[in-house]
Amino acid sequence: MEVSLEHPAEEIKRLQRCINDLVSLLALPAMWSGSKPYDIVHTLLDSLLRLLDLDFVYVSLTNPVDAAPSETVRVPQSQEQLFRPRELCTFLNRWLGDDPQKRYLQERSHIGDEEVSLASWPLGVQREIGVIVAGSRRADFPRDTEALLLGIAANQALIGLQQGRLLTEQKRVADELDQRVGQRTAELAAANEGLRMEVAERRRAEEALKRSEAFLAEGQRLSLTGSFSWRLDTDEITFSEELYRIFEFDYDAPVMLEQIVARVHPEDIPLLSEKMDLARRNINDHDYAIRLRMPDGRVKYLRTKSYGIRDRDGRLEHVGAIQDATEHRLSEEALAKVSSELAHVARVTSLGALAASIAHEVSQPLSGIITNACTCLRMLAADPPNVDGARETVRRTIRDGNRASEVITRLRALFSKKEATIESVDLNEATREVIALSLSELQRNRVILRTELASDLPVVKGDRVQIQQVILNLLRNASEALSAVDDRPRQLLISTERDEGDRVRLTVQDAGVGFDPQAAERLFEAFYTTKNESMGMGLSVSRSIIENHHGRLWAAPNDGPGATFSFSIPRGPEGVTGARSLGTIRMPAAEDSERAMGDPC
Amino acid sequence: MLTGRSLVSVVDDDESVRESLPDLLWELGFAAHAFSSAEEFLTSDYVAQTNCLILDIAMPGMTGHDLQRELKLRRQEIPIVFITAYRDDAVRPRVLEQGAVECLFKPFSERALVEALNAALRRS
Repeated sequence: MEVSLEHPAEEIKRLQRCINDLVSLLALPAMWSGSKPYDIVHTLLDSLLRLLDLDFVYVSLTNPVDAAPSETVRVPQSQEQLFRPRELCTFLNRWLGDDPQKRYLQERSHIGDEEVSLASWPLGVQREIGVIVAGSRRADFPRDTEALLLGIAANQALIGLQQGRLLTEQKRVADELDQRVGQRTAELAAANEGLRMEVAERRRAEEALKRSEAFLAEGQRLSLTGSFSWRLDTDEITFSEELYRIFEFDYDAPVMLEQIVARVHPEDIPLLSEKMDLARRNINDHDYAIRLRMPDGRVKYLRTKSYGIRDRDGRLEHVGAIQDATEHRLSEEALAKVSSELAHVARVTSLGALAASIAHEVSQPLSGIITNACTCLRMLAADPPNVDGARETVRRTIRDGNRASEVITRLRALFSKKEATIESVDLNEATREVIALSLSELQRNRVILRTELASDLPVVKGDRVQIQQVILNLLRNASEALSAVDDRPRQLLISTERDEGDRVRLTVQDAGVGFDPQAAERLFEAFYTTKNESMGMGLSVSRSIIENHHGRLWAAPNDGPGATFSFSIPRGPEGVTGARSLGTIRMPAAEDSERAMGDPC
Repeated sequence: MLTGRSLVSVVDDDESVRESLPDLLWELGFAAHAFSSAEEFLTSDYVAQTNCLILDIAMPGMTGHDLQRELKLRRQEIPIVFITAYRDDAVRPRVLEQGAVECLFKPFSERALVEALNAALRRS
């Protein structure tokens, strides 16, 4: 620093002012403590503008995150017309250049129309923080004291900005840390909540599983169904509780294959061996019935269904369910027995209901027999005896006796509980016989019967009595359906005909009360009846009979009143054609008795 | 009638009854004529002359009950003995209530027939 000794008083004043300014500058860092770079720069520029009587001062700060530098320029209000901040920035940017090695620049230059002295000081050795440029129109700028102050101010600013940056960075780091801590805390809280929900969910799932297992166990107990798994590589077998119960094994002991084999009915061992062999070869064909023989000799009927699966390691395991179908089996057998008995009962009761009409059939000839016998006695007792008259009455007696005998013969055939016998049946003839037995009932119900029996009807193979029973049932049903009809003729038509597919068909059509079309199939269900006194077995039994003959029995409502019941059965292998057809119904008894009598006396 | 015998008309759809009963009735001292249906009897000339009617109940067309009602409507007071092969206990009281003399179930004895006829003729 140069010291002029020509004007020592002024010089002392200048130096004193310089020291004052220096003190002011040295006080700046204390003011900047904790300030942001923005505030530091503004205080610095204001101080420099004021202390050095500058026309402008400029600071460019580098951006720590490598963005564009931030520039700040300060111009006293009085100079704003001369130095426009934007133009200044552009000019100084170019003047400073990009070389950070230029530590210090000082020159006289033109900005716009003004000639100015420029002096720059780096902030940091290589402008790491930025650079300060001060400008004045004074030609002697900067004087040595000004240069000293500018340098100290730059150094002070450097320290303040570095601290500010440090603080900012610390704050940023602290904020970032806070943010990360907050984020992590939130993540942990979320994870914690997730975990809590997962635990709750698992607890619920465990409870549901427990309930499900309880239901399954209960379901297995109720349905008498147990489950098992069998690892084929180790022969390790797991039984459910119910399966232990079914096999009557001790719950505490593990199940061994030998135990199972020992419990299976000896006759079913080959079946078990075959199924086990298939299982070992992973051939899934395991839906079969097998029996157990318990130590006390009881036999259990089991239904088994299982299949093979492979675990992750490819090991084969066989899993399945076994149902104790013993009760079911015994019920089925009992049902079959009852059904058979019931069929017989139904047969007998359906005929039993006909007893009145059959009694009528017997009573008629008996009445004739007694009357004729009485007449005969009287004729023979006359004086002279009326031998011709007596002979006639005896002839009638024999005829009526034969008629009664025929009725009894038919009755016995129908009531007999013999097993089904297959014979050639002329459906027309069978129908006529049934009509003959039912005629009285039909008459009593004032039914007008019409028959249309096909003359070329082939015989069928079947049980004549059973088929007649069906015809009888259909006839009785029709007659009963007609009994409630008073507003129209009680017409009933029985017809036979050849049917498609080498079959014969019999149809009973009545003009009775008919049935609800929706109940068409229910009519054939056992115990379904619309009649008070009926067991509802007639049509059910009838359908069974026809189905046993490989035929079909069905019902259809008529277009007009009433219903039509039909059955169709295949003809027998021997294609014999029915001998004759009757357009009207005659009483076979009369015809037969004539044949039987020949010359009565 | 010619012989002073009472005329008994028999209406029954059963042929054996129509054949046998008139002969017995004749032997018992009655005149008899048989008809196969109620309609046939009603359209015959015998209605007014009949002293007693032996009438079957169940017949195709008009039943015995129908004929009984028809005769009542025509004010033909002919004593009726019903005969039937249906042994229904409810039938007898019903027809007796409606004015029949007797109801015999087939087969009936000669004695029962004679008693019923005598009762009928007493009424005619």
